[in-house]
Amino acid sequence: MNMSTIKTVLSYLKKYWFLIIVSLLFAAGSVLLSLYIPILIGDGIDLIIDEGLVDFDGLLAILTEIGIIAVVVGILQWLMNLINNRITYNVTKDIRNRAFDKIQKLPLSYIDSHQSGEVVNKIISDVDQFAEGLLMGFTQFFTGIVTIAATLGIMFYLSWKIALVVVLLTPLSLFVASFISKSTYSLFKKQSEVKAKNTSIINEVVGNLKTVKAFSHEDEELERFDEANNELEKVSRKAIFFSSLVNPCTRFVNAIVYAGVALVGALLVIKSGGSGALTIGVLSCFLSYATQYAKPFNEISGVVTELQNALACAKRVFDFTNEKEEVSDKENEKLTVENGEIELSNVSFSYTSEKKLITDLNLKVDSGMHVAIVGPTGCGKTTLINLLMRFYDVNSGKILVDNHDIREVTRQSLRSSYGMVLQDTWLQNGTVRENIALGKPNATIEEIIEAAKASHAHSFIKRLPEGYDTVISDEGSSLSQGQRQLLCIARIMLSLPPMLILDEATSSIDTRTEIKIQKAFSTLMSGRTSFIVAHRLSTIKEADIILVMKDGNIIETGNHDELLLKNGFYAALYNSQFESNEQ
Amino acid sequence: MKKLLVYLDGYKKECVFAPLFKMLEALFELFVPLVVASIIDKGIGNGDKNYVVYMCLLMVALGAIGLSCTLVAQYFSAKAACGFSAKLRHSLFKHISSLSYTEIDTLGTSSLINRMTNDTNQVQTGINLTLRLFMRSPVIVFGALIMAIIVDPSFKASGIFVITILALSLVVFGIMLITIPLYKKVQSRLDTTLLSTRENLTGVRVIRAFSLEGKEKDKFHKKTTALNKAQMLVGRISALLNPLTFAIVNISICFLIYKGAIRVQIGELTQGQVIALYNYMSQILIELIKLANLIITITKALACAKRIEDVFEISSSQEVMGDKKSSNNGYSVEFKNVSLKYKGASECSLENIDFSVKAGQTVGIIGGTGSGKTSLVNLIGRFYDAESGEVLVNGQNVNSYEFETLREKIGVVPQKAVLFKGTIRENMKWGDKTASDEDILKAIETAQAKDVLDAKKEGLDFQIEEGGKNLSGGQRQRLTIARALVSKPEILILDDSSSALDYQTDARLRKSLNSLDYKPTVFIVSQRTASISHADKIIVLDDGKIVGIGKHDELLSGCLVYSEIYNSQFKKEGV
Repeated sequence: MNMSTIKTVLSYLKKYWFLIIVSLLFAAGSVLLSLYIPILIGDGIDLIIDEGLVDFDGLLAILTEIGIIAVVVGILQWLMNLINNRITYNVTKDIRNRAFDKIQKLPLSYIDSHQSGEVVNKIISDVDQFAEGLLMGFTQFFTGIVTIAATLGIMFYLSWKIALVVVLLTPLSLFVASFISKSTYSLFKKQSEVKAKNTSIINEVVGNLKTVKAFSHEDEELERFDEANNELEKVSRKAIFFSSLVNPCTRFVNAIVYAGVALVGALLVIKSGGSGALTIGVLSCFLSYATQYAKPFNEISGVVTELQNALACAKRVFDFTNEKEEVSDKENEKLTVENGEIELSNVSFSYTSEKKLITDLNLKVDSGMHVAIVGPTGCGKTTLINLLMRFYDVNSGKILVDNHDIREVTRQSLRSSYGMVLQDTWLQNGTVRENIALGKPNATIEEIIEAAKASHAHSFIKRLPEGYDTVISDEGSSLSQGQRQLLCIARIMLSLPPMLILDEATSSIDTRTEIKIQKAFSTLMSGRTSFIVAHRLSTIKEADIILVMKDGNIIETGNHDELLLKNGFYAALYNSQFESNEQ
Repeated sequence: MKKLLVYLDGYKKECVFAPLFKMLEALFELFVPLVVASIIDKGIGNGDKNYVVYMCLLMVALGAIGLSCTLVAQYFSAKAACGFSAKLRHSLFKHISSLSYTEIDTLGTSSLINRMTNDTNQVQTGINLTLRLFMRSPVIVFGALIMAIIVDPSFKASGIFVITILALSLVVFGIMLITIPLYKKVQSRLDTTLLSTRENLTGVRVIRAFSLEGKEKDKFHKKTTALNKAQMLVGRISALLNPLTFAIVNISICFLIYKGAIRVQIGELTQGQVIALYNYMSQILIELIKLANLIITITKALACAKRIEDVFEISSSQEVMGDKKSSNNGYSVEFKNVSLKYKGASECSLENIDFSVKAGQTVGIIGGTGSGKTSLVNLIGRFYDAESGEVLVNGQNVNSYEFETLREKIGVVPQKAVLFKGTIRENMKWGDKTASDEDILKAIETAQAKDVLDAKKEGLDFQIEEGGKNLSGGQRQRLTIARALVSKPEILILDDSSSALDYQTDARLRKSLNSLDYKPTVFIVSQRTASISHADKIIVLDDGKIVGIGKHDELLSGCLVYSEIYNSQFKKEGV
């Protein structure tokens, strides 16, 4: 097992060391005391020999003792459970918080290249499985070992001959348990593979049912599903059957041990002929140990798999928390944008080393200029924004804002000087009001309504069930794509940053509303350095500079009229729209 | 649950034998304490070694028979449970895909997916455990009680059993009842932490753009603290279960031995019989805890079964009905005073839509967000039913078409470009199973997707991942257009299908669609006037109503909404 994982686990447990020791002491105490009870019961039974031969005084004393011990064991177990819960749940919380904080420090490249579901899984279910598996597993492991050791000790003390029978039969129990758990492990692995396949078909088909129906493809999809479904049935049947063998098989092994103890014990009692070497009470005590004895073996073999699984989960979580973070910028000074001059000099960038994207890009944007970026899909428009916002760092060259290299100022101050509306609208689970006030949490409702009016979102917000207090979420589809986009624009209208980045900002809004927003934008944009990415030429025609991008490079620059005169790529792009219009 | 039980129909034998064999096992187990008692009383009492050996062999035999009974029972129950869930999933899948758009909208896809995966799994586990344990646990609990009464018919010592069973049930089920709602609370708090994690991943750019990292951290820490509190509370209560049952059983054993001793003193019981009673008491404890767990699983399974049943209860609201007669008037599509109201909506999404289109014509549909463009084209393939009025395809009411016949005529390119896992060829064959590679290539070329194909060295065998993840939005969109073209549809519907295409590609696409040899009737939904200005007929929608219908030039002068849209995109002074 991975040592560094275990080390990290221990580092999380360190602050609970005292509780852990107390928990272990309680566990040992409750196990030993509860093992003492059968001895006492055996003693008690020896006092009930036959008609007229019962020692009531002695019996009462023993029974009182049992009663007290039972209560004490109960209390110890309860306290131990409480302590274990506290450790488990607190460690879970600690790790989750740490992992979540990590998200905020990871470079965008990590988040972009990993599916969100994968990371969510690590933070939610892996952490749960780890904490419960490890801590609960550890307690069980510990009590199991104590039980086995103590039981063996007591049995040898009472009668080494019967104890020997138990010890000789022990390997049988171990063998059965490990055999079953091994074969079920591979079956369960197979099952989860088939299940994943099944689920992905369900996700695909049910998630896109409308398309399936539009092509009347229901029967074909059912066929495809049935194939996976039948396979799942077969695998599940085997997995469930084999895994359900554990209990009955150990019960059977138990029965053999039990019979063995009864046989040897009874014969020994007969042999001793009532001389007191071995009494019936001791035999009964042995019998109750025999029933309990196999249980911890069973549990330990289960616990070992559980611990392995828990460590595997822990490894996934810790691999995540150990991911390389963005370079710290604590030392850097804050950027205060005065003019909003932006300069890119000799910038090169690519996401992967195999595929070059932006090479040697130079650009100077004066204060208050409006820059439009156009070009076919995949030409690097979004990439440019990633670099401006410093979501990604350039490979070489530099980007300057007001003559400050953006790597020498804090990310926070850089990013908050831009107002950004992206193609992928993102809303937070919360009220409309909270969503608009994202960049300015202390905004008054009047300011929020003002911003909403400016972005033409007010009229639809008014009609929502609870107006500005309506709860919305990123996944809920209660809002149309256009409405979501209006909300994102309202955010910017409220926070009024010195520079703007608008990526396809109005792609889902109908053109008439867009015109109204454009008006609002032009008020907003006046005096602010702005970058606008859009497919719609009408949106960008009024820009001061148009950057025409292709394959990561800027191939043409100039304003609309200049570019048309050039009769180059831009002109071709523009005319394709114009031409079709004249048909 | 009742309605789902039909899926167990093929497994009647298994459903009877599994519990039956389980019960046999339990009965054999119940004999063991009696055998031990007789070893002590007869074997040891009389010093009969042979008797002891014989009885011990009997115990092993009882164990072996018990084991084989269980194996049979487990096999039957696993078979029945897995067979059941496979059949259930099959029917559910079939049922869900029979639902119409209206029901899909109401139920929501994520909840449907959940029904098919989590819920069916839970029901499967529930059935498996029920078949296995539902007979065993009560048989052991009540069997042990009955055996105790047989050992001690006077009821003086065995009476403690009744009290113990009651006290244990009270503790076990009481704790269960209190904790179930608390566990639900824990689950819902866990859900909120999950939501917030996902949100922070999908919204990472916005969060960083607004420098909300610190605030989000605080919010998350508050959520985990709340979760922690809920966990602690439920933990505190459920931590009582084991200690309480332990104490109760041992104290009862004390009473049992004491009462037993009194019986022995007056000669009504033997020493061995007291040990037997003590053993029965231990058996009851173990089974009661199992029973409690079983009941939790079954309650969960029943809740899941209910949710699945709810889905089955909803059936498609669309039936094939009405006159199949067709008045062959040369019109491909006609709308006669059609209104559409979505389920649960208070207002109509489309009102009094009335127009007709000749075969082979191209129709442009334009209007603002939410003006009803998609709703209108969805009526042609009868994806929704009109509230009033008639939609006719080739002169025949769409309601009277078999769905497959109707939809075969129509090639739809939906707004959301969805491709499925499989090769490009498999995806292209969705429209027409019999399409040759040549047909497919032609369609791809028309859809301007040739370069997508050329870029993949596997060509048509290129494996598309689930949801088309390994293709870009524009590539997906062009392939979905090709997919619709493969079937050479009579009616082609492009629902804002060129939004991810640049103007040049869009223009080329329109050109190649115009020159298709089979001359389909084409509906183009768009927000760009450029995409539809060449159409034979343009329908301008505003707030669900037709505000203009005609050719580009007519509308430009006669329709205010249209000229506004046009001017917003082509400033006169610009060109």
